[in-house]
Amino acid sequence: MEPVGLSSASSKDSTSLDVGSERNRYPYVTGTSVLGVKYKDGVALAADLGGSYGSTLRYKSVERIKAIGKHTLLGASGEISDFQEILRYLDELILYDNMWDDGNSLGPKEIHNYLNRVMYNRRNKFNPLWNSLVIGGVKNGQKYLGMVGMIGTHFEDNHVATGFGNHLARPIFRDEWREDMTFEEAVRLLEKCLRVLLYRDRSAINKFQIAKITDEGVTISQPYSLKTFWGFSAFKDPTKGAEGSW
Amino acid sequence: MHFTWRRGLLRLSTGAGWPSSLRFPHQSCLGFGCFCSRSPPIEVAMDPDHNAPHSMGTTIIGVTYDGGVVLGADSRTSTGMYVANRTSDKITQLTDNVYICRSGSAADSQIVSDYVRYFLHQHTIQLGQPATVKVAANLVRLLSYQNKNMLQMGVIVGGWDKYEGAQIYSVPLGGTILRQPFAIGGSGSSYLYGFFDKEWKEGMSKDEAEKLVVEAVSLAIARDGASGGVVRTVTINADGVARNFYTGDSLPLWHEELEPQDSLLDILSSSSAEPMST
Repeated sequence: MEPVGLSSASSKDSTSLDVGSERNRYPYVTGTSVLGVKYKDGVALAADLGGSYGSTLRYKSVERIKAIGKHTLLGASGEISDFQEILRYLDELILYDNMWDDGNSLGPKEIHNYLNRVMYNRRNKFNPLWNSLVIGGVKNGQKYLGMVGMIGTHFEDNHVATGFGNHLARPIFRDEWREDMTFEEAVRLLEKCLRVLLYRDRSAINKFQIAKITDEGVTISQPYSLKTFWGFSAFKDPTKGAEGSW
Repeated sequence: MHFTWRRGLLRLSTGAGWPSSLRFPHQSCLGFGCFCSRSPPIEVAMDPDHNAPHSMGTTIIGVTYDGGVVLGADSRTSTGMYVANRTSDKITQLTDNVYICRSGSAADSQIVSDYVRYFLHQHTIQLGQPATVKVAANLVRLLSYQNKNMLQMGVIVGGWDKYEGAQIYSVPLGGTILRQPFAIGGSGSSYLYGFFDKEWKEGMSKDEAEKLVVEAVSLAIARDGASGGVVRTVTINADGVARNFYTGDSLPLWHEELEPQDSLLDILSSSSAEPMST
């Protein structure tokens, strides 16, 4: 039983130009960067557990990486309610896939394509799902890592990042990523980027999850925190010799 | 103070220097806090372009303890700067075992609660047993999410059922749903993040939990202009529901607050030396 929505006659947007159709919205509870890298045996995703409410770090246990079916991981940044809705769409998709019971199952490429269609069609109606999605997975030995944005931009790559990660993590990936990294090396690389994001992204919190997917299956780590380093001698007295500076 | 419409923007003209970054609602609401304080005074647009969510009037809290939940709220409903109702009841019943704390627009949160109560009633009949807290919270979420462009409400759904026991679900602006061991909401909650970071413990007793909630709402009332009045609590567990009501005199005094008196005359008559100084 679908609950009845309220009529748009009482819309608080009624002063805007198009009454009746939904217009561009703005996000409320948001997640920050998601990082993804391919490594030798599969794909690894990393994200923090923060749900920001404007500038307040309001929710600190929001899991932004979820397993989809047997072969895929989905990480999201942006509006959490829209991510939760996407998870519901995917739940239905996977359910129907399982009901076929034909030995076949949806892999990361299919999920990526599906999400791309969803995002792009919503964008065309000026009612986007305010997320940047990272899709990673392994099926039949083939590794896959891709991204879909809120306007329907999509691509595949060996390493991806959303939000601030685009600016801070991708340069590090470009420099240090290798095709044949072990899981340990991939984790070190991701943690290096997570730490930088923790230093430089205001909406990052010190509570992370790293998820990995291989042909064997999905593992999402327990939440954990990283040590940070502040003990540079220059940090102790940064304005020495230049009083008034910062 | 009067409002004029100019090219689709609500312009506020006042005598005294009223910060024009304050958003004045066109309907009675559970108080309206200001925008994020970092924004400079700007013309208030009815179709705002800002990204930071604005906080909502009220202080609401939901806390789980060992065996149940305690929901708490203040009792102030404001229209702009006027307190429309100083004894409102923001903790509304959805079913026998599930209640909701409402913040944001009074109209929006009331109508959504009414719809959810209606759906839950039918659901209970069909199910043949009490609805679960999760179902109630998700119905609130559905309405909140599907009408996110029109609704302005942040709520906390709390209750007890035989499957998952005590549960608290936060449904903020936008329609996200998050289960938490405790939740705070409304404009007054800004002043409580530090308090809860310090004082929250797992596995409290019923009395400890109630004390914590009352203390917290009282602290928020002390600093948030949009919160005030009395502290209401509703405790829900396997045995049922208990409502409580704490008036100002039973609440502790905080920094720079003085013991209330009947009159100055009482102070004058009781003290001997220098009661009135120059």
